[in-house]
Amino acid sequence: MSEHRSDFLSVRDLVVHYHSEGKTVKAVNGVSFDLGKGETIGLVGETGAGKTTIAKALMRILPVHSVEHTEGSVTLEGKELMSLPEHEMQQLRGRALSMIFQDPMTALNPVKTVAEQIAEAVRLHNNVSRSQALDRAKEMLTMVGISADRAGEYPHQFSGGMKQRVVIAMALACDPQLLIADEPTTALDVTIQAQVLEMINDLKEKLSTSMIMITHDLGVVAETCDTVAVTYAGQIIEYGTKEDIFDHPTHPYTVGLFNALPNMNDNAARLSPIDGLPPDPTNLPQGCAFSPRCPYATDACRKGVIENYTVSGVHTCRCIRAAKEEV
Amino acid sequence: MAPLLEVKNLKKYFPTSRGVVHAVDDVTFSLDAGKTMGVVGESGCGKSTLGRTIIHLQPSTDGKIIFDGRDVTDVKGNDLKKLRGDMQIVFQDPYSSLNPRMSVHDTIAEPLRLSGKYKGPELENECRRLMDLVGIESRLYNAYPHEMDGGRRQRVGIGRALAMHPRFIVCDEPVSALDVSIQAQVLNLLMDLQDNLGLTYMFVTHDLSVVKHISHSICVMYLGQLVETCATDELFSNQLHPYSKALLSAIPSTDIHHPQKRIVIKGEITSPIDPKPGCRFATRCPYATEACSRPQRLDEVLPGHFVSCCRCREINKL
Repeated sequence: MSEHRSDFLSVRDLVVHYHSEGKTVKAVNGVSFDLGKGETIGLVGETGAGKTTIAKALMRILPVHSVEHTEGSVTLEGKELMSLPEHEMQQLRGRALSMIFQDPMTALNPVKTVAEQIAEAVRLHNNVSRSQALDRAKEMLTMVGISADRAGEYPHQFSGGMKQRVVIAMALACDPQLLIADEPTTALDVTIQAQVLEMINDLKEKLSTSMIMITHDLGVVAETCDTVAVTYAGQIIEYGTKEDIFDHPTHPYTVGLFNALPNMNDNAARLSPIDGLPPDPTNLPQGCAFSPRCPYATDACRKGVIENYTVSGVHTCRCIRAAKEEV
Repeated sequence: MAPLLEVKNLKKYFPTSRGVVHAVDDVTFSLDAGKTMGVVGESGCGKSTLGRTIIHLQPSTDGKIIFDGRDVTDVKGNDLKKLRGDMQIVFQDPYSSLNPRMSVHDTIAEPLRLSGKYKGPELENECRRLMDLVGIESRLYNAYPHEMDGGRRQRVGIGRALAMHPRFIVCDEPVSALDVSIQAQVLNLLMDLQDNLGLTYMFVTHDLSVVKHISHSICVMYLGQLVETCATDELFSNQLHPYSKALLSAIPSTDIHHPQKRIVIKGEITSPIDPKPGCRFATRCPYATEACSRPQRLDEVLPGHFVSCCRCREINKL
């Protein structure tokens, strides 16, 4: 990672550890990345790679009772978020940065109409009347393709795709500069996913919002992101532009991820799975966390800290083979 | 060679207080032994109901199910029990389809025990053989589901399904709860088992890249109806139904240099409760006309390629 910090969003050495049943869960272990205005970064990785924890740490909505330790720095437009008092963070949340949650079925309040839920965020951040806020809510619903006539309906009256649109409308209601989308289409069918992705891309362009797209779907990354950070065991193990990652995947894990994917364009009879399982975050291996599954692992991989090496330009890779240019 | 499974005009309706849900409506297809048929469609299209009805987890409303040349639509009692040995299912969610209070060997041994064919050491041997077959380490013989990851749990589900030496297995979204790297392991296992044991699969999924990889032929369903069926390669190179075209173009592609032209269909799936006659996709179809409100027929438009769309020839210039 270059020392140049983005003026917009800069995350440095983010660490989040939880405690669970007397053990320390090392969810995020030193994550750094930058994001420019209007850009989209994809955080890619499998279950338990720490993607959602990174998002929650940025929003400062980590569950207080289970967090053991956090450190690192997150600056948004020059303002350090990690040390901000909670009441100031509340001012930013929803306005400067907001989040689309993964599961639209559980992210909405079942006993409030959708317009009320959107208006709530609007009133919290803007000095407007109830009816003005409701008008804004209707405007947002129209923007995400839901007729304003349905503003007075409750979440259960909407389908999954429409609920996800409501969640998106809510996240965008106060024109945030940074939008964190946590698997926004995972719960949706492909034709609805296509609609939602198209809408997100349109809105991003219209409002020049910066976005962190969290997903495990490399296809979604290909369609929405400018840069990609591949996460594994709470670290970014490879980072680069979309072209870097898709054309020249370098880390053995990234390569494995692409190979494991059934490819629409080729008819190989067998897939190449990555052997083994992601490591237990309460008991991470020494050295490279991927080394127990890596076909190239040597003794050097199993000790010490693996540095982040530059492959070319902004493309970096946390693998000692990248340093030796064996890849 | 006669097909292993033939389904003719199969219907499954569920009466509800708001009307009758037409979950599976007039579905016809046949499946050869040793082959895999993929069933794709979006949530609520009836693909899981179709699988469950075929293996008699629930009675069908109308139509015929012919297995190995025998009409098994209404089998009961001992005949049904025997049929169950031939037809098995692997469920979607390995987190909820295994009994949390049964260990691996309990889970796999249960059908063996019920069959009355295995006792004592033979039972244990057979159980260990099945574990080995599906790639579960023998140290997990006494392990419980919560001690295992999703991939291993799904292997237990597959081992249990294989216990009675079935010929036909419905795989109901068997990998959709798994991560990509684990998903590949389970797909490879299913394909190896098919090669070694000559199994016939009906593979129900919403993931089109998975279905392309594993299936020989594909059925595309929309709101309980079969809209298109043909060989896998044919579907992916030459889909003829407007819904199949939209569905296939909606898959996010990992090819960043050749973005495909996407057909984004408007609106959402309509209600399957007391649907009107005619094409159910018509409300979202860019080609819909008056004629689409009449009942549609599954037609062999090209050899082995069946489509249920009255405008199909015209749209595709055939």
